[in-house]
Amino acid sequence: MNRINKKLQEDKKLLSIYFTAGYPSLNDTVSIIEDLEKNGVDMIEIGLPFSDPLADGPTIQKSSSQALKNGMTTAKLFEQLKDIRKTVSIPLVIMGYFNPMLQYGVDAFCKKCQEIGIDGLIIPDLPVNEYKAHYKETFEKYGLINVFLITPQTSNERIAFIDNMSNGFIYMVSSASVTGSQSGFGDEQTEYFKRISDMNLNTPQIIGFGINNAETFKQATTYTKGAIIGSAFIKYITENGIDNLGAFTSKIKS
Amino acid sequence: MKLKVCGMKFTENIEAIASLQPDYLGFIFYDKSARFISSEIPNLPKTIKKVGVFVNASEETVVTTVLEHNLQAVQLHGKESVDYCKSIKKQLPDIEIIKVFSVKDEFNFDVLAPFESVCDFFLFDTKGKLPGGNGYTFNWNILENYPSTKPYFLSGGLGISELENISEFSKSKASKYCYAIDVNSKFETQPGLKDFELVKQFKQQFAVNTIQHTMSYNINDKGYYGEFGGAYIPEMLYPNVEELRQNYLKIMAEPSFQEEFNQLLKDYVGRPSPLYFAKRLSEKYNTKIYLKREDLNHTGAHKINNTVGQILMAKRLGKKRIIAETGAGQHGVATATVCALMGLECIVYMGEIDIARQAPNVARMKMLGATVIPALSGSRTLKDATNEAIRDWINNPVNTHYIIGSVVGPHPYPDMVARFQSVVSQEIEWQLQEKEGRTKPDHVIACVGGGSNAAGAFYQYLDETDVNLIAVEAAGLGVNSGESAATSALGKEGIIHGSKTLLMQTDDGQITEPYSISAGLDYPGVGPMHANLFATGRAEFISITDDEAMNAGMELCKLEGIIPAIESSHALAVFKDRKFKPEDVIVLNLSGRGDKDLQNYIDYFKI
Repeated sequence: MNRINKKLQEDKKLLSIYFTAGYPSLNDTVSIIEDLEKNGVDMIEIGLPFSDPLADGPTIQKSSSQALKNGMTTAKLFEQLKDIRKTVSIPLVIMGYFNPMLQYGVDAFCKKCQEIGIDGLIIPDLPVNEYKAHYKETFEKYGLINVFLITPQTSNERIAFIDNMSNGFIYMVSSASVTGSQSGFGDEQTEYFKRISDMNLNTPQIIGFGINNAETFKQATTYTKGAIIGSAFIKYITENGIDNLGAFTSKIKS
Repeated sequence: MKLKVCGMKFTENIEAIASLQPDYLGFIFYDKSARFISSEIPNLPKTIKKVGVFVNASEETVVTTVLEHNLQAVQLHGKESVDYCKSIKKQLPDIEIIKVFSVKDEFNFDVLAPFESVCDFFLFDTKGKLPGGNGYTFNWNILENYPSTKPYFLSGGLGISELENISEFSKSKASKYCYAIDVNSKFETQPGLKDFELVKQFKQQFAVNTIQHTMSYNINDKGYYGEFGGAYIPEMLYPNVEELRQNYLKIMAEPSFQEEFNQLLKDYVGRPSPLYFAKRLSEKYNTKIYLKREDLNHTGAHKINNTVGQILMAKRLGKKRIIAETGAGQHGVATATVCALMGLECIVYMGEIDIARQAPNVARMKMLGATVIPALSGSRTLKDATNEAIRDWINNPVNTHYIIGSVVGPHPYPDMVARFQSVVSQEIEWQLQEKEGRTKPDHVIACVGGGSNAAGAFYQYLDETDVNLIAVEAAGLGVNSGESAATSALGKEGIIHGSKTLLMQTDDGQITEPYSISAGLDYPGVGPMHANLFATGRAEFISITDDEAMNAGMELCKLEGIIPAIESSHALAVFKDRKFKPEDVIVLNLSGRGDKDLQNYIDYFKI
């Protein structure tokens, strides 16, 4: 069974962390992953940096362009991760925009992910219809779970379609925004969380966008299986470096 | 699909309808018909085929009538036999023979087979009391079983109210061999007298509704031009883009939309823009060059055609807030202009570097009431301004419309913008008809950044493969200099701003920064329509350097007294090395005027 599915069966709320590979320094990737696991993080999204990250706010944009300046590439990332399964056992997901994968070759990319032990992919700009028509078989051939997003504006009909297409979890975007632009959840979001929860989807949901402390983590996971923190973590390592990641994770879990 | 207007009777009315350029006009030579033509047929443009309609007439009558009225086709509406058709064909080998069959709820297609070899077309009409002109439709689904490959005319009770059905039909399998639509009584104020406005409206909407299904170089119903296009967008944008996709064709086909759009193009933009024969330029290059004067539009370029269309679209979608991206500021100004016109809030994203380079256009936008927000990310130019506009749209999904300035972005943008710009080639068709007696030039030349002015100039000719399309890209300091914007030469297939197209990128799939002296051509991608024109070889792609463009721009000033935009100067530079025949008729889209580039010209030529 895929590590993601196994993790989703655990009787707990999951904390997932996103970081941009190659940031702050080119070779921080492996040490960040190992430390996050040691500090009780349940799943990690490894960000493959892109020059034009349309769905991201300034924090992740800056970390991406810095990572590219540092020399991060798709091939470099795979090289860094080649022995990751010797030390890390939590689910690992690569999150990135579609163009770099397309240039690497979708089949070659997926094959490499399988070799390394990547469990799934999140590709915000690969729409579910394109995936279904052209790439689903490839992903499945290499045992990769593809994760789709839904937002407060997504229609029920489309949510049902996405639920049907999903085999891991649904990435529930907390509000109409790019990453890193929210501070706290209001009634509107709570209602949206509740509405989706009441749909009793087959696929568990994990909320992302706008989770930055214990309070928002708790709010988000009241109705869902877990939450993803991205921009807040990038901000933390920008200010504090990568030596004491436990200080960040313990604050979320307190 | 072609259009035939049948049952023409009165001289003035014939001339009026002919000015709308239908493909066929029909004249009824059956004296029991209320539309029987007893007078002479006036002289008509050669592009319109005259069809004589007969019901069981003698062969001799048909032949003499054809010769007397110089007809190009005969339509046989009675019980004419295979031998009869064969004999007519033998006597009039250059005449198109259209054999009519009447259909109701069912039809035995076996009767067609013997006529296959003796007719050019079949025509399916509604079975009724009269031979034609009964005024109601038959069940078109029957045509799903059409066993032939012979092209046919669809007839019988077709009017404005059938447009949507025709559009549906044109998407269906049954329409595969449908060559033309035949209209008659539904457009009449009395038998034989057609309502000009009604035919005009039908013809325009007919084109909008059916064009995409019949043009192979145009967009398909999945939003692709060949392999290029689509909508590669984050889920956050899906509701906005989907709302637009579901509504844009419907809204564009509404008579009130067409009316408002055309009115604004005429009275506000100043259309039609002239098609000017550039005599001295033609003499210099020993060929026939016409300039399509988009530079004379309000705000100085073709950009306004699209922003007028999109602002009307935004209003009908109930949007209150408009966002746009801009590079040099031309599209920003055109957007700010229409927002002022409609009293809508306008936010323009512009790269921080471009803001510094294009101060006059920034001032223009502010005077027109727009808020100009600097794009501080990435390279702080057009590509990043586009990213910021898209992020704004993600953050404001309900009340905001994003007016993209070129034939780029996720489907339906490339198609919508191309349709709004297609007014350029629609005008070229009739203007060239007036000047040269033909609607098609031998070559159409336009510069391509994202490609909206080229899309407009090419649009009507995409599938007219005897018209050579020439797309001119900016080579900057030279295609291989590392400072270039020649996307077709340097780009690879990839995804930029929601569209699969050709784009300049690293081996690792990171989008790179283009360079050109012309801010309007300085885009790392190209619209998917053009990517497909390049990939299929339908269009010829030529790269022009900064130096070549600047010199060509100056040459036009001296030869014709026109200061062109540097973008358009790239198109003009084609004549230096690309030779044309003396008898070639060339239309060059002069997309914008050079006022905005004065400082560049001053610096470059040390004026």
